Amino acid sequence: MLISSDQIEQLHRRFKQLSGDQPTIRKENFNNVPDLDLNPIRSKIIRAFFDNRNLRKGPSGVADEINFEDFLTIMSYFRPIDITMDEEQVQLCRKEKLRFLFHMYDSDSDGRITLEEYRNVVEELLSGNPHIEKESARSIADGAMMEAASVCVGQMEPDQVYEGITFDDFLKIWQGIDIETKMHVRFLNVEAMALCH
Amino acid sequence: MEGTELAGKILSTWLTLVLGLILLPSAFGVSLGISEIYMKILVKTLEWATIRIEKGVPKESVKNSASVGIIQRDESPMEKGLSGLRGRDFELSDVFYFSKKGLEAIVEDEVTQRFSSEELVSWNLLTRTNINFQYISLRLTMVWVLGVIVRYCVLLPLRVTLAFIGISLLVMGTTLVGQLPDSSLKSWLSELVHLTCCRICVRSLSGTIHYHNKQYRPQKGGICVANHTSPIDVFILTTDGCYAMVGQVQGGLMGIIQRAIVKACPHVWFERSEMKDRHLVTKRLKEHIADRKKLPILIFPEGTCINNTSVMMFKKGSFEIGGTIHPVAIKYNPQFGDAFWNSSKYNMVSYLLRVMTSWAIVCDVWYLPPMTREEGEDAAQFANRVKSAIAVQGGLTELPWDGGLKRGKVKDAFREEQQKNYSKMIVGNGSLNSESN
Repeated sequence: MLISSDQIEQLHRRFKQLSGDQPTIRKENFNNVPDLDLNPIRSKIIRAFFDNRNLRKGPSGVADEINFEDFLTIMSYFRPIDITMDEEQVQLCRKEKLRFLFHMYDSDSDGRITLEEYRNVVEELLSGNPHIEKESARSIADGAMMEAASVCVGQMEPDQVYEGITFDDFLKIWQGIDIETKMHVRFLNVEAMALCH
Repeated sequence: MEGTELAGKILSTWLTLVLGLILLPSAFGVSLGISEIYMKILVKTLEWATIRIEKGVPKESVKNSASVGIIQRDESPMEKGLSGLRGRDFELSDVFYFSKKGLEAIVEDEVTQRFSSEELVSWNLLTRTNINFQYISLRLTMVWVLGVIVRYCVLLPLRVTLAFIGISLLVMGTTLVGQLPDSSLKSWLSELVHLTCCRICVRSLSGTIHYHNKQYRPQKGGICVANHTSPIDVFILTTDGCYAMVGQVQGGLMGIIQRAIVKACPHVWFERSEMKDRHLVTKRLKEHIADRKKLPILIFPEGTCINNTSVMMFKKGSFEIGGTIHPVAIKYNPQFGDAFWNSSKYNMVSYLLRVMTSWAIVCDVWYLPPMTREEGEDAAQFANRVKSAIAVQGGLTELPWDGGLKRGKVKDAFREEQQKNYSKMIVGNGSLNSESN
């Protein structure tokens, strides 16, 4: 329905390539992907594969290794929105994708993205550039948190502390904005091709 | 002793046939048309096999070429990919983008797939390329068995004999020619020996080569650069013209060949210690091309064998020497035999055995117009320009990655540059963001 048996087979081959023909993948196996090395948030992406919340194995914690079924579970967060889906399914799909992202920010699994966690993400995004000081990264994070607070809580009392972005707040921030096209990986159509010349 | 007499008779008939039908015509660069007939039969057989496979297999299981990729990658540059969702918290949207990119890389990375052989769209009746094709029909299996017999019992001995003769002639011939004093006669003879022996070696692989644009063939005093797929590349190019090779002195059979051919004409061999000193290498190569009488140098700037679906980073060292660069694009047709040498999987002997038990080696060679370094262009940019020209001509994809990734990790400098690019974009926007707050 979502991906064909052929694509699953190709993914399985890729899985075996990454795992070195073992039945499970560990974090170290992702070090062999040169393209991933350039990604500033690679450690978060890799962690997302082992996150128990994404694997639907528990409310927190990190698994040591994942098998092919887990691999497919993570892949399913990036499936494209099918035009045949009805409104309810589309909303569900969208929620799942946003939840995946929320888990990436909320590293201590307490259900809130605190200022520290937010700063951590921004610092990682900006890592590798020696010219940007920590101060700039912090101020960007602080500004963003303030904006999030104003969207979610509205006017705050002077001594009210904004504890962090909950998942519902997160959904509120992204309301009305189309994220579907940005967060999917589309499989190529497998067509019959005969070449012999 | 009837047994040995019979064996002797068979051997001598065999050798006479080989001599008459293959060796002599090669010496004169003439073709008797036997290989063309073989190729025609082969093509017809493979077409028939493809049609039978398609008929026998249900529609859904027919595969697409895996080298094209299993996912549609977002090739848009970073700026475009990131710009869509800006306005609100930029980091959130950028995290989207990078997560997607990260997942794309995990599912399919462009680099590692270039270090293994290209997968075929339809099976070419060789067991080694059979990934997924099940039993279709009795006739197909019989043809396959016939193919195995033909390849291993008829073609393999023939090819091994030819290769043996070719290499021995090369070593003996060049040693003999090397005894002569330097003169135009010596150069002419050495060219003849090189050409003949390379033609014999190419016949030993059942090589069918199409040369295009022969008017741009590399001239003396120039440097010829080509994309690298296997050691066979050298033979393929030398069949149409003589080159001076560049390389490291090696031991064993290669060493013997190296020492022999350098007697006949000046190739450039470096000791291992000399290779480390880049200035020395550049100096010697400069001296070589300054001498207009010497043959053009042949260099493979990728530095390692790639699987012929793409061209990887050209090392700029070859482009710092100066002189005219003659680019050459080589593209093998994988349907008849896989020429790529996966040196981590096979050693030289098993690789040669695989090549000699394939159907044939079919390739196209395009000579490109000569290029020189322009004003204000540095060696790396020039290298990229030449690389693009070769990739476009050969129908290969271009990758900025280093072939050295086969064995090593991404260089830190490269990684930092990418991250700097990204951070530049952020700080530009970030400062605007905090101002508006």
